[in-house]
Amino acid sequence: MKKKEIFLYGSLLLLVALLLPAQQEVYLSIKEGMPAIPLAIPPFIVHESSSKTQEAAEILHQTLSDDLKYSRIFQELPESYYSYIRPLNPKQIFFKDWESIQAKILFVGEISEDDGNNVVFEGKVYDVKAGRGIFGKRYQANQSLIRLAAHKMADELLRMWGEQPFFTSKIVFASNRDGNWELYMMDFDGHNQIRLTFNKVTDYMPAWSADGKKIAYTSYQGANAILYVLEIYEGKRHEVYSKGTSFAPAFSSDGRRLAFCSQEEGGNSEIYLATSEGKGIRRLTFNKGTDTAPTWSPTSRQIAFTSDRGGTPQIYVMDAEGSNVERVSFGGTYHDAPAWAPTGDRIAYVSRVDQIFDLYVLNLRTKQIIKLTEGSARNESPCWSPDSRHLIFSSNLNGTVQLYSIDYDGKNLRRLTSRGENKLPDWSR
Amino acid sequence: MTEGRFDCIKESQGSIKQEGKSFKGGHMKKILILSLACILVFGFMLSCAKKVEEAPPPPPQVKEQPEVEKVEEPAPPKEPELTEEEIFMRKSLEEINREAAIQMIHFDFDKFFIRDDAKPVLEKNAAWLKKWDSTQILIEGHCDERGTEEYNLALGEKRAKSTYDYLVSLGVSTNRIKTISYGKSQPIDAGQNEIAWAKNRRAQFTIIAK
Repeated sequence: MKKKEIFLYGSLLLLVALLLPAQQEVYLSIKEGMPAIPLAIPPFIVHESSSKTQEAAEILHQTLSDDLKYSRIFQELPESYYSYIRPLNPKQIFFKDWESIQAKILFVGEISEDDGNNVVFEGKVYDVKAGRGIFGKRYQANQSLIRLAAHKMADELLRMWGEQPFFTSKIVFASNRDGNWELYMMDFDGHNQIRLTFNKVTDYMPAWSADGKKIAYTSYQGANAILYVLEIYEGKRHEVYSKGTSFAPAFSSDGRRLAFCSQEEGGNSEIYLATSEGKGIRRLTFNKGTDTAPTWSPTSRQIAFTSDRGGTPQIYVMDAEGSNVERVSFGGTYHDAPAWAPTGDRIAYVSRVDQIFDLYVLNLRTKQIIKLTEGSARNESPCWSPDSRHLIFSSNLNGTVQLYSIDYDGKNLRRLTSRGENKLPDWSR
Repeated sequence: MTEGRFDCIKESQGSIKQEGKSFKGGHMKKILILSLACILVFGFMLSCAKKVEEAPPPPPQVKEQPEVEKVEEPAPPKEPELTEEEIFMRKSLEEINREAAIQMIHFDFDKFFIRDDAKPVLEKNAAWLKKWDSTQILIEGHCDERGTEEYNLALGEKRAKSTYDYLVSLGVSTNRIKTISYGKSQPIDAGQNEIAWAKNRRAQFTIIAK
């Protein structure tokens, strides 16, 4: 009797689920243009001062301060303000002092060394107006990992503010710094650049899996441009597709699927879909035009891509099953490399006008377009930060092709690479 | 020749002197020895004189030495003449590719159709492929830097495919040709001008089997 009931309810639920209309994309908006929160980060207090702890304190302070500035959420007070008030005493904080120099948040950092020669970094965050602590965090790190400790602390501050933390995220990219094109990885700020692939052939167009443990990429093995998935922390690699030239991989945000491009019999590039393990491959687009550069919506329900089915390369959006194709880019004759922002409301892409490539951001709700870069260079391959406030892209604006970071509003352009040529970045989630 | 005679005389005088020194024994002995010496000297002189008269021209020195026979290597068996095919088969793939028997072709900006100037090149290539009908080739499609990465990879593949189609239309078997696209990752001229771009927009051939 009971079993029957359960079965009945179960099937009823299934029916309801099936009847529910396909959910619309949920757009999260970021608070653009809001004033940044004034934050005081006075120099860190060093206990058991030694050259090691002093140096660590400086690196930690600089890294944390750079991260928070980069976030666009916080605005660090000028250091000169700290001389207007009594020096900081972590045991007795005069909140009125900090309020008088316009600080809303006070970060107090203390550095010491433990028995195992590790640096101990303790941070306390105070709400100045309320005059009380919000949270505290203590990290213990070996000298070589102190930047990571600062990034983790910065992540905590973003989390506290209800923002998406991303200071420990990684950028994977292709570089020819050691001869041929190989894959490399670095921190979001350009530090810790390390090589991932070691061979004599071209390894190209990497893309992160949702969990940040796998990278899909194209490797030119003799007569084949094969799509592989590399488990970077296991050192294992397996083949996904080897027919034709297989490229432009993109893992879905839910981590379950992998979209990529390859050729059908006629040599025409089409979009294919596989599981995240590279199994169960099926074709998603069927037409005479070139279909390429897939990018997933954050809900994994839609895919934006480039197609020249209308005569010129333009950006289109379709359901992840290949239906409901809709053109979303207008007003140009050459659009490519769409990148769907993790907030879901925008797509960044490249537009070519008179041999100049610039980045644009299309707002899917308002259909408004913002031009992100301005110059006489080739700005290419945009990818979004996990919080959708920053983009990394490649550009030859200083001669050679290098990676640059820019904010969603075109501000804070900065260069991240310099050795060899560097391109095709992808930002881990 | 005169030098030879002078030597003879000198030597005989020397021998008389020596005999004289040993004359201290019996008279008879003395006479005997003297006469013997006289005979010897006379005989010697005679023989010397005879030599002078009858000395034939000395044989040429070469003849006096043993005849030298030069040892020559026996002629090796001659290899049968190689056919053109055998010469070809002896070469490595790298050598054949280096000789660039199959020429590359070029394309117009953003286009993948076979240009008129590329057709005779492909006809030559097809003739070569028909001659060496065991070979297999890889057609690499390349683009200039003025296209985006993704779209260029697709365009490079289309260039390789239209080249493939043209060779097939000239009678080259489909199972001998493979295609690949490098997009803009392998330019042959790093310049940023029309000449470099025109060079980089190409379909290039690599012989991958023979």
